[in-house]
Amino acid sequence: MASVSFRDVEKTFGSAKVIHGIGFDIQDGEFMVLVGPSGCGKSTLLRMLAGLEDISAGTVAIDGKVVNDVDSKDRDIAMVFQSYALYPHMTVADNMGFSLKVRKAPRAVIEERVAKAAKILNLDAFLARYPRELSGGQRQRVAMGRAIVRDPKVFLFDEPLSNLDAKLRVAMRGEIKALHQRLRTTVVYVTHDQIEAMTMADRIVVMQNGRVEQIGAPLDLYDHPVNLFVAQFIGSPAMNVVNGTLRRAAGTACVEVAGGVRWPVGQCAGTEGQLLTYGVRPEHIALGKGEDNGVSGEVVLVEPMGAETELLVRVGQLDTVVKTHGRPRVVPGDRVSMSVDLAYVHLFDQASGRRLA
Amino acid sequence: MRAANLKRVTTEAKLLLIGIPVLLWTMLPIYHLFLFAISPKESAFAGKLWPDHPTLHNFGVVFREQHYYLSHFWLQLWNSLIIALATGALTLLVATAAAFAISRLKVKGGRTVMNLALFTYFIPAAFLAVPMYKTMGTYGLLNSQWSLILAMVTIAAPYSIWVLKQASDKLPYELDEAARMDGASPLQLFRLVYVPLMTPSLVAIGTYALLLAWNEYLYAFLLLSKDTQITLSVALGNFLAADDSPWELLMTTGLIYAAPPAAIYYAFKRYMVGGLTVGAVKG
Repeated sequence: MASVSFRDVEKTFGSAKVIHGIGFDIQDGEFMVLVGPSGCGKSTLLRMLAGLEDISAGTVAIDGKVVNDVDSKDRDIAMVFQSYALYPHMTVADNMGFSLKVRKAPRAVIEERVAKAAKILNLDAFLARYPRELSGGQRQRVAMGRAIVRDPKVFLFDEPLSNLDAKLRVAMRGEIKALHQRLRTTVVYVTHDQIEAMTMADRIVVMQNGRVEQIGAPLDLYDHPVNLFVAQFIGSPAMNVVNGTLRRAAGTACVEVAGGVRWPVGQCAGTEGQLLTYGVRPEHIALGKGEDNGVSGEVVLVEPMGAETELLVRVGQLDTVVKTHGRPRVVPGDRVSMSVDLAYVHLFDQASGRRLA
Repeated sequence: MRAANLKRVTTEAKLLLIGIPVLLWTMLPIYHLFLFAISPKESAFAGKLWPDHPTLHNFGVVFREQHYYLSHFWLQLWNSLIIALATGALTLLVATAAAFAISRLKVKGGRTVMNLALFTYFIPAAFLAVPMYKTMGTYGLLNSQWSLILAMVTIAAPYSIWVLKQASDKLPYELDEAARMDGASPLQLFRLVYVPLMTPSLVAIGTYALLLAWNEYLYAFLLLSKDTQITLSVALGNFLAADDSPWELLMTTGLIYAAPPAAIYYAFKRYMVGGLTVGAVKG
């Protein structure tokens, strides 16, 4: 078993508290992603788990054992760094075998483990090369190989794909995920890219300003964000949001926005006159007339992507992003009617940002 | 096209106008040395650009220790070598460990220690000569070559620590973190990761300390007394004691003495520039 638990973990740098009382569990074999904007504390949390930062308060436990005072090398974890951190003066094989070498493992064991890891990562041909002779993606794989050779209880990834170009990132995402499915080791993965989080995670921890905003499976976070921050952070293109007042009339409800536009709402628990933030994702707005569920606006921008088209439609004072399949025949300047899928409307309290029950 | 060419030519011309006099100014004394070395005793002061009868006789005299002032030539050359090598090695040891501690292990007060050491350069080495003599006397080292070695290490160390610290700062700290997570102790980190990556700077600093000791005169003169103990640079000074100093032998010995540093410097010239400037600009 290689579970990880955080209990009331806090971190202070000097007089500044950057992590406020964080507590959650990671199951054995789970791929857990910590995601959030820059400065939210995700890397700091990871480094505390790694033992590279002291823990100011609270406990971190690996496999049930509290590791606050345990040295990094004794925690049985391996880390893949954003900048790979490969030893430039050693060959790929030496890089991967370094951890076993410093523990004075027999040469046969080192060679066997390195060969096995190299096979998993398709690095057989590069074992005698130096890091400077490799491409970014190959270097990243060597960094992963170094971690695999350790056969640790937990893998830690600190934004490993940030230094790669977009195409390579997509390829490596798949490789990391495939690796996890093969090895079934617990993974804690830090990224600022919510797409990486959505595609790779078993569960996601969304963080902001040193606090946990929401923990859940990717689609859970996508469909049921608990607050405005999570709603806007997860999903690309981001959710359309607008502030307004709830109005009820004759069995229907809507959110009225300054300027008179009425965004339709299905069943909701709010009271008349309540100040709300209305949110709807671009793919849940459809072009074409829908009697009661409609808003209309003027097309500002058309972005064809091939299979889909993104439209920027000005509804009142809000620039709404609409995502449709196919290629609708609209040009900038056209007036269009749109209908909203009421099952996918999100309402948040304007003051607190929390989701309406 | 024409204007660009003309500009290039005038720039070249200006550089040559400065460069050639500087070159002559630098090479003239060395040529003078060489001239005396290959001139026979009688015509040494003739003032000719090239001697009428160039000879290698002087070199023979020096190598066969056939003059009173040269009676311990080989021993003194050996002393110079030993002292220079010991200084280089000891300075490297001290400076590498200090730079590692200050830069990678980030010990508290490390920067203060380094700045204090650099502060000693405010006092010219000549002023410190007498206190150094007294100190070596207190330690009972006055009749030993260790007094000179330790004095030279003291003078070379602050600069060496500073240069190596600057070079260390350029190594990404993530390498240390990765090594720590891989299970390396600080000593293993030092041996397996730090020193191999610092090699160019280490070569530069080792060479610097070695040449510093090789060229030293004042401290060698003060701290060493016996003819069998002194370095060749001090022995050369003794040449000037008498009225009938054999100038051509002096120049010959000087030329021989200048050869090893020139060779070392030439062999490691690639490291000297890179190794000493590596921390200068944030890259």
